Amino acid sequence: MVGMSVLRSAAAFAARLSPLKSGNNAANLLSRTVTRTDKVAVRWGHGKNMFIIKPSDFYDRRFLRLLTFYTLLTGIPMAVIITGVNVFVGEAELVETPEDYEPEHWEYYKHPITRWIARTFYDSPVKDYEKMLAAIQIEKEKADMRLNQLEARRQMRQKGDGPWFQVDTLNKELIDNSPKSTPDN
Amino acid sequence: MPADHDKDAYPEPPRQTPVAEKQTALPNPAVILSQLFYYSVDVPVTTFRGVIDSFRDNNKPVYYHQKYRRVPDLTECQEGEYTCYYEAEMQWRRDFKVDQEIVKVVQERLRACQQREGNSYQQNCAKEMQQFSETTKNYQLRYGDLGAYASARKCLMKQKERMIAAQAQSA
Repeated sequence: MVGMSVLRSAAAFAARLSPLKSGNNAANLLSRTVTRTDKVAVRWGHGKNMFIIKPSDFYDRRFLRLLTFYTLLTGIPMAVIITGVNVFVGEAELVETPEDYEPEHWEYYKHPITRWIARTFYDSPVKDYEKMLAAIQIEKEKADMRLNQLEARRQMRQKGDGPWFQVDTLNKELIDNSPKSTPDN
Repeated sequence: MPADHDKDAYPEPPRQTPVAEKQTALPNPAVILSQLFYYSVDVPVTTFRGVIDSFRDNNKPVYYHQKYRRVPDLTECQEGEYTCYYEAEMQWRRDFKVDQEIVKVVQERLRACQQREGNSYQQNCAKEMQQFSETTKNYQLRYGDLGAYASARKCLMKQKERMIAAQAQSA
């Protein structure tokens, strides 16, 4: 009997915690039974509520959510910037080069973003051309010097009158002539 | 959006549609439809373009056409002057691009002519066809089978072979 009252007070406490759940009102607190699931109230709304058993699409939806998030993270600012540039700055128009005016190297491009990239990051094509010519000149001089060196080696080895390929002769004072100094050795 | 190309450079032939003489009092449905299209599509689009263009009226950037100086050719370079070779090679590459664009322009003219004339293109486009065949023949002779790694040297060697063949044929 005491246990019964403990159970009843525990069930009342649980009912107070979630009063809206069915079966939690005072009338059927201890004598409630499990709800029947085969006789459900059918109201003419969206039809009978079905519990559709299908495999989890959580991972697929999470992937698509993350994909859209990370593409739009840089996509939206870029789209806004590019639209703003195209609307407010606009593409350049082709005009005849005026007399005695040397255009800067970025003024040969049409789109404003291309002009900005050419102005900020790239060297002018004239400078690139000169850099290439300088590299070729250096390599040509190196090749010419190597050929000259080979020719000088050949000449000096052959004629023997240059500073290279000189073999030091022995010091005559170091030669011991004692084995051959008398004819009877 | 950039301006359209210069229409006087490649003029289209004058239109030959006859002037329509109205003989009835009924309204012409084609005129009604064209006016409907004009007011519903053309006017809003043009005003939108005008609004957008008004933002750029103050500072319009301009761009110029780059002109390159002529440098000595590959035939005028001394043996072993690699800087001269490089400049001649770059000039040959620029001329190659220009020739490719020339062929494209002539092709485009022939295509436009065929589209205009419709089924009678073989008679009416004879001038364009002759120009096209001549241009492509010369292009094929000069740059024909040089391949992907074409260079000024290979083109010069091809020219030498052509001249040898021409001399052998005439001799």
